[in-house]
Amino acid sequence: MDPRVNGQLQKDWGWLVAIYLFLGGVGAGAYTIAAINQFLGKSTEMSTALGLSIGFPALLIGTLFLLADLGTPKNAILAGMRPGSSWIARGFWIISVFMVLAFLHSSLQLFTDLGKTGEVGAVLSALAVTGIVFAISTMAYTGILLGASKGIPFWRSGVVPVIFVISALVTGHFTIMLGMVLVGDPAALPGEFRIMAAEAVGLVVLEVLAILFFLQAAYRDPDTRESGMRILRNRLFVVGYFVLGLGAPLLLMLFILLAGSDAATGTILAAAGVGAVLGLAGGLILRQAVLICGALPTLNMAGFQFRRIARPKDPKAGVGLLPPA
Amino acid sequence: MPRYGMVIDLKRCYGCYACVMACKVKNHTPPGVFWARVLKDEVGTYPNTLRQALPVLCMQCDEPSCLEVCPTGATVKQDDGIVVVEKDKCMGCKYCMMACPYGARYSVEKWESYFPEGLPLSPYEEFARDYWEEHSGTGVATKCDFCKDRLAEGQEPACVEACSAKARIFGDLDDPDSEVSFLIKRYRGEVLKPELGNKPKVYYLAPR
Repeated sequence: MDPRVNGQLQKDWGWLVAIYLFLGGVGAGAYTIAAINQFLGKSTEMSTALGLSIGFPALLIGTLFLLADLGTPKNAILAGMRPGSSWIARGFWIISVFMVLAFLHSSLQLFTDLGKTGEVGAVLSALAVTGIVFAISTMAYTGILLGASKGIPFWRSGVVPVIFVISALVTGHFTIMLGMVLVGDPAALPGEFRIMAAEAVGLVVLEVLAILFFLQAAYRDPDTRESGMRILRNRLFVVGYFVLGLGAPLLLMLFILLAGSDAATGTILAAAGVGAVLGLAGGLILRQAVLICGALPTLNMAGFQFRRIARPKDPKAGVGLLPPA
Repeated sequence: MPRYGMVIDLKRCYGCYACVMACKVKNHTPPGVFWARVLKDEVGTYPNTLRQALPVLCMQCDEPSCLEVCPTGATVKQDDGIVVVEKDKCMGCKYCMMACPYGARYSVEKWESYFPEGLPLSPYEEFARDYWEEHSGTGVATKCDFCKDRLAEGQEPACVEACSAKARIFGDLDDPDSEVSFLIKRYRGEVLKPELGNKPKVYYLAPR
């Protein structure tokens, strides 16, 4: 472990936290899209059931990843007892309530006739409205958690929660799409996928605009320029997220949208499946890249910029090594 | 009740790391953990250059952002202004480490040896590990506490005592007659990152 260096990247939050934020976004995003589409009567029974039922398990698994990152998980219950103290404690309650609502809503949808009547009943409506509020709060929380970190200027931008909300909707959308490719009726899917592809194109374009705004704002601020340059030099971000996680799904969704009705069903399904998988991978990579490119602020005084440490020599270097015989 | 603070005279500091080592010896911090650090910078073009050292530690802020984000109440500001971590309450989420703009907090999973991998802990390291477990702990956030146990015995923090250039001055910021109050007023002591509103209690006297 290296000493903490102002002006250099944080190393304490990595993949485990990225997966937690990603799964939180996927679950809440899929639920939001399914619940809104159910209200608007735009979705089929299968896409609604898929979207609603992803929320609970995704959040549950995500929470396990957060617990795995904690140094002393047995004390996590203390966070739940102080709900107003911190964004982590607020998130504890937001996610808990959302998980209960998502579980109830999906159970009623899957195992009763309430959701199959064509009209959304009063019980489901009340659950859906409350669920959507908590789902949006969960999506926003994953960004606000970073935005409230005073020590990492790169995350302190108000754009981060916006990006995370949009990305949550995109990944939620792709999760439903992937589920339909895997378990849906192939004959009925191409028509439905054209509507979903149109929604996906709109969301991905929004995400591209938000991320470009975020990056140019980061580059303009001296405190965040280092992070902005680091993320643009990060191959995982440029290739994994920007090219494969945003660009490729955008092209594949445009292909589905523009393909004529005579296009082969297998081709449409393949495009939807590959686009969804790439889009999901992109969502995870986005969170990891934003996390690992967060840098501690430079400490300035009297014209000096203290951005590097005169590193004490590595105590392990050379110790115990004998000169060659 | 005093409100403890520190003044660091950058004209006097020549970056010898005595404070870093004194802190390590006093607190038995594991490899990679530096509650006291020395940053350096150089300006100008050869041969007209200036090199400056900046000793940093926990700023014991009056408005600590680490305390604001602590979800379990493990971070506490004592009556004397020192910010401490109650290790039995910390869940090790590292959110305080992301909130501290001074990079003053550390968390370690285990007390590892300073020597190459595979070698067992030396007797001193075993003692240091046990001391660390008792006073700071693994899997939780740790930080400088101005050597509060030394203060209780009427001594100054280890880094202050060890400073050969007498660049570190420790005292009560609320006492108008204390040396720290005098130096801050007389030489216009500055804090790092004042724009963040953390109100640090470690002041710096400008190097030039």
